[in-house]
Amino acid sequence: MADTAASASGSGTRSGSKHSTNPADNYHLARRRTLQVVVSSLLTEAGFESAEKASVETLTEMLQSCFNVDTLPAYAKRSQRMVITAPPVTNQPVTPKALTAGQNRPHPPHIPSHFPEFPDPHTYIKTPTYREPVSDYQVLREKAASQRRDVERALTRFMAKTGETQSLFKDDVSTFPLIAARPFTIPYLTALLPSELEMQQMEETDSLEQDEQMDTENLALHVSTDDSGAEKENASVLQQNPALPGSRNGEESVIDNPYLRPVKKPKIRRK
Amino acid sequence: WRVEHGSLGFRGLTMFCSILILLCGSSLSLQGFVELTIFPTVANLNRIKLNSKQCRIYRVRINDLEAAFIYNDPTLEVCHSESKQRNLNYFSNAYAAAVSAVDPDAGNGELCIKVPSELWRHVDELKVLKIHINFSLDQPKGGLHFVVPSVEGSMAERGAHVFSCGYQNSTRFWFPCVDSYSELCTWKLEFTVDAAMVAVSNGDLVETVYTHDMRKKTFHYMLTIPTAASNISLAIGPFEILVDPYMHEVTHFCLPQLLPLLKHTTSYLHEVFEFYEEILTCRYPYSCFKTVFIDEAYVEVAAYASMSIFSTNLLHSAMIIDETPLTRRCLAQSLAQQFFGCFISRMSWSDEWVLKGISGYIYGLWMKKTFGVNEYRHWIKEELDKIVAYELKTGGVLLHPIFGGGKEKDNPASHLHFSIKHPHTLSWEYYTMFQCKAHLVMRLIENRISMEFMLQVFNKLLSLASTASSQKFQSHMWSQMLVSTYGFLKSISNVSGKDIQPLIKQWVDQSGVVKFYGSFAFNRKRNVLELEIKQDYTSPGTQKYVGPLKVTVQELDGSFNHTLQIEENSLKHDIPCHSKSRRNKKKKIPLMNGEEVDMDLSAMDADSPLLWIRIDPDMSVLRKVEFEQADFMWQYQLRYERDVVAQQESILALEKFPTPASRLALTDTLEHEHCFYRVRMAACFCLAKIANSMVSTWTGPPAMKSLFTRMFCCKTCPNIVKTNNFMSFQSYFLQKTMPVAMALLRDVHNLCPKEVLTFILDLIKYNDNRKNKFSDNYYRAEMIDALANSVTPAVSVNNEVRTLDNLNPDVRLILEEITRFLNMEKLLPSYRHTITVSCLKAIRVLQKNGHVPSDPALFKSYAEYGHFVDIRIAALEAVVDYTKVDRSYEELQWLLNMIQTDPVPYVRHKILNMLTKNPPFTKNLESPLCNEALVDQLWKLMNSGTSHDWRLRCGAVDLYFTLFGLSRPSCLPLPELGLVLNLKEKKAVLNPTIIPETAAGNQEFSSSQEEEEIDMDTVHDSQAFISHHLNMLERPSTPGKVKVPQSHRRRHEHKKKKKKHRHKHRHRHRHDARERERDREPFAFSSPASGRSARSPSLSD
Repeated sequence: MADTAASASGSGTRSGSKHSTNPADNYHLARRRTLQVVVSSLLTEAGFESAEKASVETLTEMLQSCFNVDTLPAYAKRSQRMVITAPPVTNQPVTPKALTAGQNRPHPPHIPSHFPEFPDPHTYIKTPTYREPVSDYQVLREKAASQRRDVERALTRFMAKTGETQSLFKDDVSTFPLIAARPFTIPYLTALLPSELEMQQMEETDSLEQDEQMDTENLALHVSTDDSGAEKENASVLQQNPALPGSRNGEESVIDNPYLRPVKKPKIRRK
Repeated sequence: WRVEHGSLGFRGLTMFCSILILLCGSSLSLQGFVELTIFPTVANLNRIKLNSKQCRIYRVRINDLEAAFIYNDPTLEVCHSESKQRNLNYFSNAYAAAVSAVDPDAGNGELCIKVPSELWRHVDELKVLKIHINFSLDQPKGGLHFVVPSVEGSMAERGAHVFSCGYQNSTRFWFPCVDSYSELCTWKLEFTVDAAMVAVSNGDLVETVYTHDMRKKTFHYMLTIPTAASNISLAIGPFEILVDPYMHEVTHFCLPQLLPLLKHTTSYLHEVFEFYEEILTCRYPYSCFKTVFIDEAYVEVAAYASMSIFSTNLLHSAMIIDETPLTRRCLAQSLAQQFFGCFISRMSWSDEWVLKGISGYIYGLWMKKTFGVNEYRHWIKEELDKIVAYELKTGGVLLHPIFGGGKEKDNPASHLHFSIKHPHTLSWEYYTMFQCKAHLVMRLIENRISMEFMLQVFNKLLSLASTASSQKFQSHMWSQMLVSTYGFLKSISNVSGKDIQPLIKQWVDQSGVVKFYGSFAFNRKRNVLELEIKQDYTSPGTQKYVGPLKVTVQELDGSFNHTLQIEENSLKHDIPCHSKSRRNKKKKIPLMNGEEVDMDLSAMDADSPLLWIRIDPDMSVLRKVEFEQADFMWQYQLRYERDVVAQQESILALEKFPTPASRLALTDTLEHEHCFYRVRMAACFCLAKIANSMVSTWTGPPAMKSLFTRMFCCKTCPNIVKTNNFMSFQSYFLQKTMPVAMALLRDVHNLCPKEVLTFILDLIKYNDNRKNKFSDNYYRAEMIDALANSVTPAVSVNNEVRTLDNLNPDVRLILEEITRFLNMEKLLPSYRHTITVSCLKAIRVLQKNGHVPSDPALFKSYAEYGHFVDIRIAALEAVVDYTKVDRSYEELQWLLNMIQTDPVPYVRHKILNMLTKNPPFTKNLESPLCNEALVDQLWKLMNSGTSHDWRLRCGAVDLYFTLFGLSRPSCLPLPELGLVLNLKEKKAVLNPTIIPETAAGNQEFSSSQEEEEIDMDTVHDSQAFISHHLNMLERPSTPGKVKVPQSHRRRHEHKKKKKKHRHKHRHRHRHDARERERDREPFAFSSPASGRSARSPSLSD
């Protein structure tokens, strides 16, 4: 009976969560249901066969108002407690024993034995290390430099191996392989635009600086110029596409630049 | 005044120009019409001459009547059918004559339109003429440059664009006009372009209207301020538009995707505007201003009326340090030219110096305000050194050439291999130096009359011009908008009341600079400084200076200025000294600027109170000074003189005194944080030189190493450089330069010390830019330059072949770095590919020093079209060097081919320029490369192959001069026949050059004819156009419409002109039989390149 009540309450909370949008309400509802289940099971434990709804409500109300958490462990370990019957064990999962470390911890007494075992210790146990992490500046720089150099060398060598190369020595093409020069269709773009890496870097340093300085005035200025720039981009789009309605805000109407004006439609030719 | 200049007596008032630009597929063409409204100022006007090149002219109508026209451009082929004539002297004269034969300032032009006889009466009553010209332009080679990237997509998506370009008057290349700076008119311009494109041109954009199919739009521009045709420009492309946030009438344009860079780059421009408007107390004259940034620019900055065209490579982001001042300078330069050059134009070519001078001068004032006095003085010194070096090398730059009588004897520039009568015959280098000298002379004038008066003069010129610009044409006020030397000088004397005539005579009407040699002795008895100042005025490019000269003497008692009078025969000047043995009093020593400093006087000569002496400290003479004083005086000057120019002079002088004291003075300067960063940079290189001279006695670590370590390396680990932080630009520049200078150090074996190489390699290794606000691309590039500097010639045993096995281990390390850098550039390219450029240079250094086999293949691949222009130039420079060192005929041919075929005009110009600077051989040297075929090739290049680009042709002339000199190239076989009259020197000499006409005529006939036919197809498309049109003239293209007048009145021909032309053409050309035949027909024309003017006597007979 307690089981059914519990399951009913479980579904109730679920449906409740569906209906009520307020998480606080939701919580109260769930709590109340749980208490109801507890009261019902206590009643069953005490030997009652059935109870009226009103009395269960009253007992729940009482429990809710004078519930002491501190006494709970003692109560949980009381001798005459009712053990909820374990669900029938379906096929026990075979745990592979290939990787074990340390001793599996047994369940503490208050956890029913049919509950799953603790995971293997290596998944939660902190392994102490005995070597101090490198924090020496010189070594760090050294490491960073050689790491970067290795990465760069490996990467460029890979690129050179997979693509066309040029060589400075006729007899040897592999010692100093140069990735072949490849003309661009629009050479100035790669030459002028900062690479993504640099952009990222710039943002980082910028944010660092702003943290340090918090130059709000400057910031505001940046934002405003950016905005007006964006509007101008829109404007140039507008100019190319006069079908779009000219939705412009106040600032832009101030800027009267002939290049921002919409393109006129041709006059109908007189015939 | 037009008549005075012997012009054709008309003035255009309104020029209405409508051009339809078609940008589709591979055909880069445009078509359009030009409408000129002309007010005849003289009666008897029956021919109108306009300038036009490359244009295919379909039809000319005057007041709706068809008009006949002829087209003749003698500059297409300068020396016609003189197939064996290879004398540069002859060519230069012929070229100058050809250019003046079409010079609009002399009333000439390539296009001659006959006024229909029906209108003659109309003209005689001086009524308005409307000339309507239909023309098209197909794949122009010059004047307009098309950039069409070969990718998929529509023209706009590909970023295709076109812009006008050229050197001086080059508007005639893209539409018929009076291509002169002195012929002002108002303009209405219309451009119909693809709907995705923007057409930017001069004046106000009145409206933009779609065409009926909505696929194109027409931009209507109106320029009401009278403007010369040569100041008209155009740029069309799928530009991104940015309205200046500070000045809404200023609009910036850039190519797609570059908008963020454009925003940053132009964010500074309003300050330049403010500066100029403030000092000139005059508003910017045009109602709007446009900046356009385009690819494959002809020059970095080109200023036109109310718009400037810039190279897109000037754009940069906020992370770039080095480019920022350079770009700002370009912006400021172009804006200065808006006032003087575009708004105020020039009366004639000989007044050009005034405009270039004023714009350069006010640009200098801007520099002073923006970058400070130190930078300004440093710049002035740099410019002065440049002009002095150039004049001493080539024999003088003349600012205001006056051509009286046109006699060859009076030619003021006989030392040059080109004529200076016309801008189009000038060597580009000469023109650059001309501009440099012009602004320096303006500064001299300022010294004389004060800056206040100077600015008043400018203001006067501007306000007169703006009053004139708002007047109607009929009021004849527009000439106020043209500046002349006379008017400018008059204005100066009116405003200042001072006579600057001697100054003008010395520097403007006369070429050359002054060369002073100074030395001194101190006379203890008299307590007098005996200064001796000698001049060298006999070497080419020098002149004698007579007048005041300032000398500053720093004594123990203070700094004293003395003005000496330099006269004919006085060499010695006695200057009384102030202090007598005051040294014991331990007093501070007062400097020029009032500062008082403690000095360690132990190095001084005990008897003399002189600390240092400077001649002409304010650079108020265009001079070179070689002054002798003791090393300790230079050292004092370096340490204590506050003027950066003095500091730099002393650094230069100290190179000759490799002593520990010099070392100490330089090291102290290097460390001194208040010292100007350029001085500190110069000190680095001097220190390296001194260290090399002192190599046997040098103690301690290599020069600058401990200094660098102290300044830029970590405290705890001195071999590791700090992570980059370039917030302080001074130390950034120093950090960049020191390793480059250190790499020049050599040990006793003349090798770069291992310690230095390791140090540089460590800098590269530990370079860490992650926390830096700025890009380190220039820094890394300089580290590669440092590596290249450390390379010394390989020790070669029996000329063994260079292979990997015998590679020097140090070079192996260098090569490792270069390989990695060059490869990384492919993955993470740096700004302007500075690193690739440095790598290519370093590889060439390795090749030249015999570590790596010399091979141009790598450079040739990087020189191809499609690489960034800086890379191409660096690669081409290496090929040019290879050509010289390995005497490779194949590479020379490859370069010459590129000069003719490369799509980018700047690159073509630059190759010629680099070949001239680093020639494969010179006129005095025997070389296997020098042969007849090469002579022919170059001759053809300058004679006809470069007619579409003035600058390129003059570049070819420069190269020809460098390789072969003025007379007939020595590698050519001696001509068979004897004596010939040298017209220039007026004497008969054994024929070095010319095969007499009579003898050569028949022999060469068949071969020259063949040559010509090849020319027609390959060299000039425009020639083909012309002959086509000549045919059209003979038989009407649209039957019934074009009437070729059967009889022509030619009595209106000015007799004066006839005479002039006869004189000019008398001895110039001979025509072969075929041409003579053509001459007989009234409108048939000899090959247009023959140099015959349409007004030549045969026509008017």
